[in-house]
Amino acid sequence: MTELQNIEIPTTENKSFGAKYREFMDKPVTRGVLPVVGLLIIIALFAILTGGKIIQPFNISLLLSQTYMLMIAATGVFLIMTMGCLDFSQGSMLAIASIVICYLSTYSLPLAILGGMVTGGAIGAINGFFLVKRKMPSFIVTICTMFLFRGLCAYLTTNSPVYAIGDINKYNTMTIELTLTAIVLLLVYLLFHFTKLGSNLKAIGAGETGARFAGIKVEKTKLLVYIAAGMITGFAAFINVIKVGSVTSTSGNMMETQILIALVLGGLPISGGAKVRFTNVIVGVLTYKILSTGLVMMGFTTQMQQLIEGVIFLIVVAIFSDRKSIQVIK
Amino acid sequence: MEEVILRAENVNKSFGITHAVKDVTLPFNKGEIRGLIGENGSGKSTLMSMLLGIYSIDSGKFILDGKELNVNNQVEANRNGVSIIVQEMGTLSGLTVAENIFLGNEDRFVKFGIKNTTAMNREAQALLDKYGFNRIDATMMIDNYDFEDRKLIEIVKATYFDPKVLVIDETTTALSQSGRDELYKHMNRIRDEGNTVIFISHDLAEVIKYTNSISVLRDGVLIDTVQSSDVTEDDLKKLMVGRVLDDRYYRTDYGEAVSDDVVLSVKNVSVPGEIKNMSFELHKGEILGIGGLSECGMHEVGKAVFGASYDRTGEVTLADGTPINSITTAIKHSIAYASKDRDNESLVINDSISDNICLPSMDSLRVNNILLNKHLNEFANKYAKLISVKMVDVNQFVSDLSGGNKQKVVLARWIGKNSDIVVLDSPTRGIDVKVKADIYALMSEMKKQGKSIIVISEEIMELLGMCDRILVMKDGALSGEFMRSPTLTEEDFIAKMV
Repeated sequence: MTELQNIEIPTTENKSFGAKYREFMDKPVTRGVLPVVGLLIIIALFAILTGGKIIQPFNISLLLSQTYMLMIAATGVFLIMTMGCLDFSQGSMLAIASIVICYLSTYSLPLAILGGMVTGGAIGAINGFFLVKRKMPSFIVTICTMFLFRGLCAYLTTNSPVYAIGDINKYNTMTIELTLTAIVLLLVYLLFHFTKLGSNLKAIGAGETGARFAGIKVEKTKLLVYIAAGMITGFAAFINVIKVGSVTSTSGNMMETQILIALVLGGLPISGGAKVRFTNVIVGVLTYKILSTGLVMMGFTTQMQQLIEGVIFLIVVAIFSDRKSIQVIK
Repeated sequence: MEEVILRAENVNKSFGITHAVKDVTLPFNKGEIRGLIGENGSGKSTLMSMLLGIYSIDSGKFILDGKELNVNNQVEANRNGVSIIVQEMGTLSGLTVAENIFLGNEDRFVKFGIKNTTAMNREAQALLDKYGFNRIDATMMIDNYDFEDRKLIEIVKATYFDPKVLVIDETTTALSQSGRDELYKHMNRIRDEGNTVIFISHDLAEVIKYTNSISVLRDGVLIDTVQSSDVTEDDLKKLMVGRVLDDRYYRTDYGEAVSDDVVLSVKNVSVPGEIKNMSFELHKGEILGIGGLSECGMHEVGKAVFGASYDRTGEVTLADGTPINSITTAIKHSIAYASKDRDNESLVINDSISDNICLPSMDSLRVNNILLNKHLNEFANKYAKLISVKMVDVNQFVSDLSGGNKQKVVLARWIGKNSDIVVLDSPTRGIDVKVKADIYALMSEMKKQGKSIIVISEEIMELLGMCDRILVMKDGALSGEFMRSPTLTEEDFIAKMV
């Protein structure tokens, strides 16, 4: 009785609508194709609603320029979420790493990039430590560190914003940013698909105990992935700095939620596991950015945008949640 | 003429590709105790779970007292006069005894939206006293009572409202003799009051002694219903297995010497609350059995050898002195482990067959440091086919497979890893006869290849039939050792177990 309880799949001919719907949603093809279809629909929808404005070259490059930072940071969080964990400290991490990059940019640019990555990695290590050594659920740990580093960021920017070296915006070109983003995506893609990293992370997300008994060093992997995701976000902070040139107390605000929404829009199951695909990152971030940019172009206020995004997020999570494993978010 | 109280009509249930209950039509009479027997996975528990509304029915129906029974959960079933005492813990921790007894029926003590706890406690205590369980205090938290008392409380919970049909699902194995006697007493009382008891048990002697008639299920199909007074245990076994039960699928060789080479030694190993000071050695090409009661600590021995126990003391070492202290070192040094908890420990349940088979072997599957999906799938396919896993393809999720096929995936993983020391905990638990035979054949084959196997099992016949040497455990420590012999009997074994 116990062993059969969680695999209830009706197979008789007269299936209810609900059963058919669940079966459809469980097909791997559905999960792969639906987000892409969603992206195309959103592009078409906003192309119509904005009278073609959103697909003009100028607006596309504007859209892209706002996408790089989120895309890079989301790549790290993608690895975390594949394990069924979450990270809410990303925004504050980005802010702190940006401050470090600003300070160091007056000395040397490579040093600044390195400093940003080390800072992100260190915050990731703090998250990973409490998660692994203190056995705390990841969303509790990272909500705490979010407040901690948000506070630190506010303290460091109390009197005035922190400025980077004046000429840093000369790097703010599409060529540089697009190249850097592509490099990060490609690196993580290769690691995810052509080493055991991908399978190991998916296995941890799909069943942590089972993964441990298959010889995966679950604790070590978690710690390293949090550090790596931190470093990736530290790198995203560099893009942030060359774009903005300074850091205020609200830098990176809400980025963690934007990443979460983007990844879920891309079809990533919120509990991670074996159904995760790398394309979730790219499709998701593009969908999210087009959605929010489209809403801006249509003249919605920020408050209204948040409301609409919230509703869409809820609907997508409801559609994509995997009932069998939703209870295991760590 | 006997009066039928409950009738199952053409009831079907499938889990994925497993057809667990096939077209079962079965009447139960008023005022009888009906035994329901069958091997693991024969569909007994599934059938009863549908009766109680725990599982939905794929097709068919249950007719109770002339009316179709249509319930979605146990509380609704209770209101219709059907109740169950389950195999596992059926009471909820963190609630009082009284709250447990009236769980789902608190409404009767509610007036104007306020629950009258005093009245509830009073009534619960009155019931406990009536059943003769005066020593249990209705106001206490249920956690203050041990497993046995909690089962007694479950008896009260399941029977105080005089159900028309009471299902008892393998409850007796968890009870001591006095607890069993209490249960038998109440079974008889319920029958004498003109109601019906459906009694599920693996203990055939018990079934024959305490029931009026017995229904036998095999692979989800109803085989026969017989009068308890007309049958012997052997008759029932025959009905359950479908042929004269012989030892054909066990090994038939006796007296072959096992190599003196020790491949693994366990020295003074203890795990708090589980095992005390265990020491033994495993030889090359040996099948070593470990048996005992389920709670004797034997399952922890498998984990200890695999480096998976928490707070283990003592030493587990290989022939060359390498200590095994973690799962990764165990796997690296060619130790394989199939856990009793197949869904959580042996497998990554929500992952593909391919990933499950490949996970421990990833490092050896790299070509020029690159891992290609194609190679993974080829590897998985090769070993899944080798032991004929029933599947669509290797991308299918293991959660869709039947128990026997899941176990085959576990074995495919370790055969693929080419492990030299294989620890199998309850390898045939919940697995049908055919797959069982496959697994035994596989064990013999591994032995022939010089691999060493530790089999931990609750099934004594399996140990007697397959092992070169058997260790018996009791209360976390070794209590006996038997060498393979055709004259060794179950009785010799049980004497050391209890």
